[in-house]
Amino acid sequence: MKRILEGIQVTVIVSVFVVLVGCVSWQVITRYALGVPSTVTDEIARFLFIWLALIGGAYTYGQGRHLAIDVIPMMMTGRARLIIEACITLLVASFALFVMIWGGYQLVSRTLDAGQISPSLQIPMGLVYLAIPFAGVVILAYAVVALIELARGRLPMQLINDAPPVE
Amino acid sequence: ALGSAADAKTLRLSHNNPPDHPLHIAMQLMADRAEELTDGDLKIRIYPNGQLGNQRESMELVQNCSLDMAKSNTSELEAFYPEYAAFNLPFLFESEEHFWSIINGDIGAEVLTGSVDNGFRGISYLTEGARSFYASKPINSPADLQGMKIRVQPSPSAIRMVELLGGNPTPIAWGELYSALQQGVVDGAENNPTALTTGRHGEVAKFFSLDEHTMVPSVVVISNCAWDGLSDDEKAALDTAAKESMSFQRDQWQGIVDETFAQAEADMGVTVVEVDKAPFIEAVAPMIEETAATSPEIADLISRIQAAAN
Amino acid sequence: MNWAVIILFASFGVLMVVGVPIAFSIGISAALTFLLFMSFDQSVFVIAQQMASGLDSFTLLAIPFFILAGNIMNRGGLAMRLVNLAQVIGGRLPGALAHVNVIANMMFGSISGSAVASAAAVGGVMAPLQRKAGYDPSFSAAVNIASSPTGLLIPPSTTFIVYSLITGGTSISALFVAGYLPGILMGVALMTVAAIIAKKRGYPLAPKPSWREIAITARDAILPLGLIVVVMGGIVFGVFTATEASAAAVLYSLFLALAVYREIGLRDLPKIVLESAVTTTIVLFMIGASMGMSRAMAFGDIPYSISDLLLGMSDNPLIILLVINIALLVVGTFMDMTPALLIFTPIFLPVVQSLGMDPVHFGIMMTMNLCIGVCTPPVGSVLFIGCSVGKVPIGSVIKPMMPFYAVLIVLLLVVTYVPEISLFLPQLILNY
Ligand code: NA
Ligand code: NA
Repeated sequence: MKRILEGIQVTVIVSVFVVLVGCVSWQVITRYALGVPSTVTDEIARFLFIWLALIGGAYTYGQGRHLAIDVIPMMMTGRARLIIEACITLLVASFALFVMIWGGYQLVSRTLDAGQISPSLQIPMGLVYLAIPFAGVVILAYAVVALIELARGRLPMQLINDAPPVE
Repeated sequence: ALGSAADAKTLRLSHNNPPDHPLHIAMQLMADRAEELTDGDLKIRIYPNGQLGNQRESMELVQNCSLDMAKSNTSELEAFYPEYAAFNLPFLFESEEHFWSIINGDIGAEVLTGSVDNGFRGISYLTEGARSFYASKPINSPADLQGMKIRVQPSPSAIRMVELLGGNPTPIAWGELYSALQQGVVDGAENNPTALTTGRHGEVAKFFSLDEHTMVPSVVVISNCAWDGLSDDEKAALDTAAKESMSFQRDQWQGIVDETFAQAEADMGVTVVEVDKAPFIEAVAPMIEETAATSPEIADLISRIQAAAN
Repeated sequence: MNWAVIILFASFGVLMVVGVPIAFSIGISAALTFLLFMSFDQSVFVIAQQMASGLDSFTLLAIPFFILAGNIMNRGGLAMRLVNLAQVIGGRLPGALAHVNVIANMMFGSISGSAVASAAAVGGVMAPLQRKAGYDPSFSAAVNIASSPTGLLIPPSTTFIVYSLITGGTSISALFVAGYLPGILMGVALMTVAAIIAKKRGYPLAPKPSWREIAITARDAILPLGLIVVVMGGIVFGVFTATEASAAAVLYSLFLALAVYREIGLRDLPKIVLESAVTTTIVLFMIGASMGMSRAMAFGDIPYSISDLLLGMSDNPLIILLVINIALLVVGTFMDMTPALLIFTPIFLPVVQSLGMDPVHFGIMMTMNLCIGVCTPPVGSVLFIGCSVGKVPIGSVIKPMMPFYAVLIVLLLVVTYVPEISLFLPQLILNY
């Protein structure tokens, strides 16, 4: 089950990325080769990008890859480590629940109610913002699974992963 | 901010212009007058430069009552209250007098309060004059626009207008526009004259062709929550202050345009070109019917604006 | 007393130190700060809005593309060919392999925007060679760590794209062109220090390459270096915008890796794309949350409070810039470059602009400052990855890093106080 869900996420992320490259390349090609710049690729690319960032961000959380200063958790062992990891996971879960799901739901429903539409594609902006509560649900799910593991006295997979830093 | 007097209200107003911009100065005048008229009970704190968000974000915050006030131009407002689309139609206003009689009159007032069901109301229009094309060559007729890549704002009406005129509308971010013009990523742009100086575009586009296709005003809006929280006296004071800033801005604007052209001509070598508007008007005429077809309210608004022309 | 300052920084500090992922620490402390000004529902609304809307920028699209291009170059055999070329260029200087490492990092940096990718790719190749030649592994790692951030200054650079976004559209082309001189100076300064140390320790020169070898390596490196022409030439000569250039970089490096070198196949791509997506979203998620935080700071007048504080300390611009640099160096010890840039640019930029500093110059100063930060403990991404590919403990590189820290700080001050280093090229080439 978990593997299927991750498989779907990975497929979606990779596909969105490929479409993005296609979109931007198309924009250059239409401008030069065809002499007629496309007015929709800009918007398609920006909206796909928002979705990529948010669902990718949720996936990245599931992989334990977000940047964190883990000096203090790493110093602790046994029960203390489990407790501090549980606190961290609870904080992330509350952010997902209150800000991303609840705040995001309000944002989506307000913009859908108000009928705000995007300038080029003329699609409801609410659909663009839907990425936030969607990513919130995925993060919350990962956090709940992690909390269950911690309650059973085990460190969840994502905390064991040695997250390589990025620049 | 926590220690301020209990009964003084401070409204937050967000806009995306720099603090030395004529619109900021007009809004500051409104803030000062509102405070004066209410003996300090009503304060307006202005956040320039898009610190609290761009125009769209600020409008969303206003609709949600997370922000009290915002300034947005009618291009962006179209998405929040469709009636504003009428103001974005090219050549719907036949002259500046026509434009002023509309926004100062009943029609303008009706549109301002018409958006209450959408969570906000407008309190004033601030003019930014007429928008025209500028490029490295004069644009005397739509034929000159043929095949030119023209930067437009991401607004459906701006895109459609350039298409009808025979140009290729190209949405490019404002911040990249200077280098895009310089390097030929786009061949021209359209804006009001101050873009020549505030955006330094006069350095890279030497001909400003006065076709004056649109007069897109900015609107200062206030959220329903903030408005309903004001006493009747405060509402009246805010209204007076807003109207005063509106006429102040109108009086200032022509001077600003003259000064802008003088500076652009002297310092940047820009040539301001007078053009015959008739072929432009003819080319974009279908837009008026297309927009009128979107809703009976907009159709009615357009025909009333047209009727007021003479 | 400004309560917003206290709530924002105290909650952020505590959350971050406890180990909450930085993006979430930023988001939570921003939401708490907004509670000073509005209801719970309104406050979570603003953060949610900013997480999506803050990312709504065509410019930002360049970030995933440059990261993907960097990963393709790394796996597709482009990095190795650049190291070979560096070997020819730097091989006859004292401490040959140290110079090769610095030059390779600069060249890799000039085609990719990532210091970490550079430290991993170049360090991974160089560390075993240096070990074999009798170099102290800690010294080799220190050279690699100190020089890989040159790629953040030498364009293309995702750092400048982020900076352009938060400053409301400082020209990316100008920032890119401005980064060349400081980035190259940084490399040269590091090579000078490395040469002095190597000479003292008697590290060997590389054998003199034959003309034939030179010709072959140069020929092999032409295609990867062609990317510089595609990307920077494309931007400077107006063929495309920075975002479009980044897509071109992806297509170009893909073409080299798949069709010319054939070191990777189509089936390797999903993995490379996914890896790039993860790296990208770490940055993007942080940007979204930081946009929420910068709105919270504006609501709470935090930039004003801090700028009052700074301008109250002194009316001498030289001193204020020094104070800002010191503050950023401290921030850089525990915070990675992207969050530091996102959080502190909106605070410091208005201050330096009131002193008449150009935003492009400030962007260069800030980036160079934070380039030092990514190499310092306790938190430094380049430090970590450099030690890991160099197979040395973090504790052992601190001492050999000292002379490099010192020269970087001196150079930082020079770049801070001599605006021409940053602005000369953009003025010359772009008429900035
Ligand atoms: Na670079
Ligand atoms: Na550090």
